[in-house]
Amino acid sequence: MSLRRGALWFLLCLVLAAAAALCRPNASYSYQNREATLAGTSWRYPAGTDDLGRDRMVRVAAALLLSLVGSVAAAAITTAAAAGVGSLAAFGPAAVGWSAMLLCDVFLALPWMFLLMMVRSALPLTTSPAHSAAVTFLVLAALGWPACARAVYRGAVAQRTSGWMLHARATGLHPAQMVRHLLPNLLPLLIPQFLVSIPAFVIAEANLGALGLGISEPLPSWGGMLYELNNSAMLLETRWVFFPLALLVVVLLALEGTAAEA
Amino acid sequence: MILLVMVGTTLLVRFAPGYLSDAREMDARYAAVARAELSAEASHSITQMLRAELGGWMRGDSGVSREFNVPVWVLIRPRLAVSGRLLLRGIALAWALALCASLLSSAGRRPSLLWQAPAAILLAVPAAALATLCLLVNSGGPVLVMALLLAARDFKFLHRALRNAWLDPHVLQARAQGVRPRHLLRAHILPALLPQLGALASLSIVTALSALVPIEVIFNVPGLGELAWNAAINRDLPVLLAVTMIMAVGVTCASFGSHRTTAWREA
Repeated sequence: MSLRRGALWFLLCLVLAAAAALCRPNASYSYQNREATLAGTSWRYPAGTDDLGRDRMVRVAAALLLSLVGSVAAAAITTAAAAGVGSLAAFGPAAVGWSAMLLCDVFLALPWMFLLMMVRSALPLTTSPAHSAAVTFLVLAALGWPACARAVYRGAVAQRTSGWMLHARATGLHPAQMVRHLLPNLLPLLIPQFLVSIPAFVIAEANLGALGLGISEPLPSWGGMLYELNNSAMLLETRWVFFPLALLVVVLLALEGTAAEA
Repeated sequence: MILLVMVGTTLLVRFAPGYLSDAREMDARYAAVARAELSAEASHSITQMLRAELGGWMRGDSGVSREFNVPVWVLIRPRLAVSGRLLLRGIALAWALALCASLLSSAGRRPSLLWQAPAAILLAVPAAALATLCLLVNSGGPVLVMALLLAARDFKFLHRALRNAWLDPHVLQARAQGVRPRHLLRAHILPALLPQLGALASLSIVTALSALVPIEVIFNVPGLGELAWNAAINRDLPVLLAVTMIMAVGVTCASFGSHRTTAWREA
């Protein structure tokens, strides 16, 4: 079995296990059992509870699903935007192409982390947890497209001068029809960009959350749970605090594995 | 380019949905002042704001901090040296680690798991988590954490580039003729890799700037990253804007340096 296929199967199993953990009766990521704060492992709480008495296993499962769904959606938006901008720059008028690439250069010159922090901190004070999650991943998607667009632009320029494209032009194919044929030719570029973006977005969300600027409570997120590592009193009570970090590393290795052979 | 980056950053902040809200509004003592300042800012058009912001920067005036009520430059100046030192040391150590590891791993016949596995694991650990773990086990400081994060990324590229370089036909022939590897490296491989090394150096700076915030926050280093984080938590947008612009200028200069290296090499 190839590394990529193995990583994909592993991720699928993890997602199914997370969905099963969330479907257990009385499973709630926000329910606080104040009589069982920082509880150890038990049949009811397989990974113990946090300092508010919330089931850590359910929270990790929810964080895994939220992070994967959000990152995949953000990567899809990024890839679609990059395909649009890259193709437009390659096939549009020269001025449009130049402007699009200049815009890419401007975005690439802006450091991700600082921009993310800036946009995230400039959200209204009353933002709900669901909105904060959506905005976090949307901002990641909005800032992630330029590098991908540059790669797509180079690929599209190569396609523009390729034999089949010249032939298609000479035979009078409509530009819309050419786009239909162009996209499958760009797929070998777009798929790796999409796969590489997913772990990058998962890490970015985790870093933002660990700084207290990610998805708001009570919604669980990797970053939010990494934030628990700063609580040394909790670390003395239970080692299960490291469980989210260990799982995050495993998930990221699997995601890198899916992107490695692309 | 730098001008465009400044315009882009200012516009992003201006159009952020919470631009006209301030953490001081939640405190009854400062709410009235904050609202007055915000309503004055709201009355400015985008053009006025851009003119004021860019004009201020040209004159060396980067605005006033909303949180501390002091000029932003006063907050930034002492922290520039702290962050600069951390970045320089981190990048230098990372390059030394990555170069040594990639030279050793690329010279072997097969890609060695001994080198690949630690790099892959380090790439899968968020900067904040690695910094927290180092702090918990009380070993390694901010420089080591930054160096490890950068070295893992740099190693990935350097290993691939060096491995391809060792397999170039002229290098293979030289090896077959008995030319010593050290001479090959110095005379053929490293000069040929110079443009890629330049590009990787600018990428290292971008990565280091992104890792700067979590590392400085977790190790409590009084640098620009910590200032930016504090500004983000307290919605002190003038400070955040100024720090972002400084970082953007740093990235632009690094990219320019990388382009110049490539141009010099091609000339």
